[in-house]
Amino acid sequence: MPLDLIYAAAAGWLIAAAAGLSAARTRSGLRLACALSGLAGAAAAAGGGWTLIAGDTRLVTVGDRGAAAVIGGSLQLQVTSLAGVFVALLGLVAVAIALYAPRYHEPGRGTGLYLAAYNLAVLACLAVLIAGGMVTFLVAWESMSLLCYLLILRRPGRPGVAAGAFWFLALSEIGFLLIVAAFVIVSAKTHTTELSTMAARAQLLTGGWRDAAYLLALAGFGFKAGLVPLHVWLPEAHPVAPADGSAFLSGVVVKIGVYGIALFAFRLLPGIGSWPGLFTMGIGAVTAAIGILYALGERDIKRFLAYSTIENVGIIMTAFGAAIVFHAYGQQALWALLLLAGLYHVANHGCYKTLLFLEAGVIEHATGTRDMDRLGGLIHRLPRSAVIAFAGTLGIAALPPLNGFVSEWLIFQGLFQGFRTGSHFIAILIVVAAAILGLTGGLAIYAFVRGFGIPFLGMPRTRQAASAREAGQPVAGPGLLALACVVLAIGAPFVLTALSRAARTVTGVGLGPLLLPGNLTVIPAHADFSALSPTYLAVFLIAACAVPVLIYLAGRPRAASVTVPVWDGGIVTFKPRMQYSAMTFSAPTRVTFDALYRPSVSVRRASDDPAGRSGPVHYEAEVTPIFGRYLYRPVIRAVEWLADVISPLQSGDVNLYLFYVFTVVLVAYLLGAV
Amino acid sequence: MPLWFARGLHRGVVTSRYPARTDDSSVFLPTPPAFRPVALTRSVADELCAACPSGALRREEDVLVYDLGACTACGRCAEVAPEAVVPSGEFELATLSRSALIKRIPLAGPDR
Amino acid sequence: MSGIDETAAELRRRIGGQFGRSLHIRTLDTGSCAACEQEIRLLAAPHYDLHRLGLFFTPAPRHADLLLVTGPMVRVMDTAVRKTFEAIPSPKVVVATGACALGGVYREDPFVHGDAGKVLPVDVWIPGCPPSPLALLQGLLVAVGRLAQKTPGLSFTVDAP
Repeated sequence: MPLDLIYAAAAGWLIAAAAGLSAARTRSGLRLACALSGLAGAAAAAGGGWTLIAGDTRLVTVGDRGAAAVIGGSLQLQVTSLAGVFVALLGLVAVAIALYAPRYHEPGRGTGLYLAAYNLAVLACLAVLIAGGMVTFLVAWESMSLLCYLLILRRPGRPGVAAGAFWFLALSEIGFLLIVAAFVIVSAKTHTTELSTMAARAQLLTGGWRDAAYLLALAGFGFKAGLVPLHVWLPEAHPVAPADGSAFLSGVVVKIGVYGIALFAFRLLPGIGSWPGLFTMGIGAVTAAIGILYALGERDIKRFLAYSTIENVGIIMTAFGAAIVFHAYGQQALWALLLLAGLYHVANHGCYKTLLFLEAGVIEHATGTRDMDRLGGLIHRLPRSAVIAFAGTLGIAALPPLNGFVSEWLIFQGLFQGFRTGSHFIAILIVVAAAILGLTGGLAIYAFVRGFGIPFLGMPRTRQAASAREAGQPVAGPGLLALACVVLAIGAPFVLTALSRAARTVTGVGLGPLLLPGNLTVIPAHADFSALSPTYLAVFLIAACAVPVLIYLAGRPRAASVTVPVWDGGIVTFKPRMQYSAMTFSAPTRVTFDALYRPSVSVRRASDDPAGRSGPVHYEAEVTPIFGRYLYRPVIRAVEWLADVISPLQSGDVNLYLFYVFTVVLVAYLLGAV
Repeated sequence: MPLWFARGLHRGVVTSRYPARTDDSSVFLPTPPAFRPVALTRSVADELCAACPSGALRREEDVLVYDLGACTACGRCAEVAPEAVVPSGEFELATLSRSALIKRIPLAGPDR
Repeated sequence: MSGIDETAAELRRRIGGQFGRSLHIRTLDTGSCAACEQEIRLLAAPHYDLHRLGLFFTPAPRHADLLLVTGPMVRVMDTAVRKTFEAIPSPKVVVATGACALGGVYREDPFVHGDAGKVLPVDVWIPGCPPSPLALLQGLLVAVGRLAQKTPGLSFTVDAP
């Protein structure tokens, strides 16, 4: 039955793509295409959720011969519980974007092409998630990369779009090669191309091959997921894609990369030892820290959110890495718990990051700029969007009572139980990772106070910001995601029950009785460690906030009150330029971590009058892109050098090419004879 | 460091106990003047008014209008007419109304 | 707060009940020579120590109960004075101190009001140039009704030759 829902969703997206291509020139056609996409999303969300609870579906092989002719192997589909989380998230994001897109895009031919590419990309993501065989997976993966490339290229004429899309495509292709290599190793050793059979025969992979396959998969999927130092496409591609495209990229596509790593770590290669797990955990922690540190240096809202995505992927990877380590040391309950916590964080992050990207689109639509230092005071001009964005900010900053808090709490509780491994060294490493995540959490709160406060609060810094209007801005899509955040938080016990079933299907370890002792309390795997009731916490916090309000209402003075302006130091006029700017707010971090940022500052004056009357002063501060400069540029130069060296082979001389053909045929003949 | 600590202990508590007890330093405070009406003739009063730089003294007919609020305790009036002016020794001068700070001192009479 | 003595005494008792033992003071310099400020600053020093009497300085008028004004009220400070006064929540007490603020030394002219009472509703006046810290302490305690004012009972005349 869930497979039927998924088929319906797939069909829906195909039709929506066709509808978008043909009908998006009119507003009603645009709405129709988006409605179809949304319905398909609802079906997918239902199917994914069902699979979570009900367990893996059967393997379905579709059309042997025809498919084999086209894609080189049969089309094999199976919805697993592990994929169920991602499918449900995909569906929810698709519904939200379907509600958002009609108000965001203008009807036209470009929008039609874009919608076709988008719906096909969603379909490709779905195909990756429900792929039951290696060939299906790889074909779907590559399709997804290409279609997302088209997605980013919505407005090819604008500056940075072509470069951002190219970065995405280039890194996706490198990742694809590594993924193919990983799959080939596993498939060769287990003599099958079906994923569930590979999982069943996982013990056939030994030592070196197993580690090699895992590392190749980690790197290959890491390109898509955004692990440092493979993340550089994220801050380039996200700002230039349309808002719902960026939301889709961060909310879903990055998670598909996470799914790939989870697939290898928990299904195909579950016996992986402790040092790959430690490596994953370390990479995750470093990714999280670096992601949020770079986020603090960004003025562009979308680049800021892109770096925040990198941070959250780092948190999920830390959880998965620690899970692998616990499994290697026999702590099965913690293995399942950290898988579950990671999946929960995937769902949560998908909700609030998508929401924030959609709101960034609303801001860009309403004010014409993405630069935080040109915004301000939007809470008065875009009140509903501000409330929804605040819900997303609370979630991503991991503050109670919202969902980010519960998933990060679970991850921390899992990491803190590192002492159960029995090895002091491992326990220390795990605690160090937890400490880095703690630093990340603190910086995330700081970053999102800045990310919400600078654009929304205070006074507008420019006329563009002052002229923003709420009318006509999409509210339903982001609002749905905000509601989902609240439901995921207050309904955490139910969500965790569903996820624990998925964890049991994947790992074979049942967490049910240990996770929820029946009264809405969450226990991280071992009852003697800690406990939390997210539902009661949420209720208590809301009630606690109500108390001062009630006291105020009860004790309100009878006499008339006087309203006076905000205290500003008694100056004559308060200018918006006197407020904090985004860069000054984060300046303390940039000073503290200047070894990472390596800022270069240049100050130019018109003249050198020591009394300061020299006219305008030009101040420029730049953060050194260390990954671009020290990692990618040498590689790019090496590749260019290699191309230069090889280029004489491509002389254009037909006779030389014929000689090549002759030589290769001769060699092949000789080899065949031997 | 220990020397400073020892010195401090030896000196004891230096905090004033005002207002529970009078502060010993209050005897050294410069205070606004008090006047001897017997010595205040019209000419003396005029000299005093001319000498005051802050406008605290004004003669209205046979009354010396003395504004305590404007007085800076500079002492010029005491220099000019030492027989008519003495330091009052009062430093607790706060009032709840401005008019309470304006004292009207009757002069002794026209010039002798 | 009116300036009539009897009702002022009544108000003093009422105010004293509210923050007699915990009074937060916001100082405001409206163009003084800073001698008053030096004396005010000495109040926080160990010798006079206003904290032992429950008096505190605060920079934020929002947290203040009492506004302590010095200086002859230069006209360029009008906006700042008005904003500071409005920012202090009621009930509040205004104390003017120093000969300048009480109308002496500087007459009213295009740059200076000359008298704090022309701009603010002053409740307590503390003369002095500058007022010693002891005079300031007495004035602040009079402002909250913990001490009675002395000056109305003094004649500043000496009868004996």
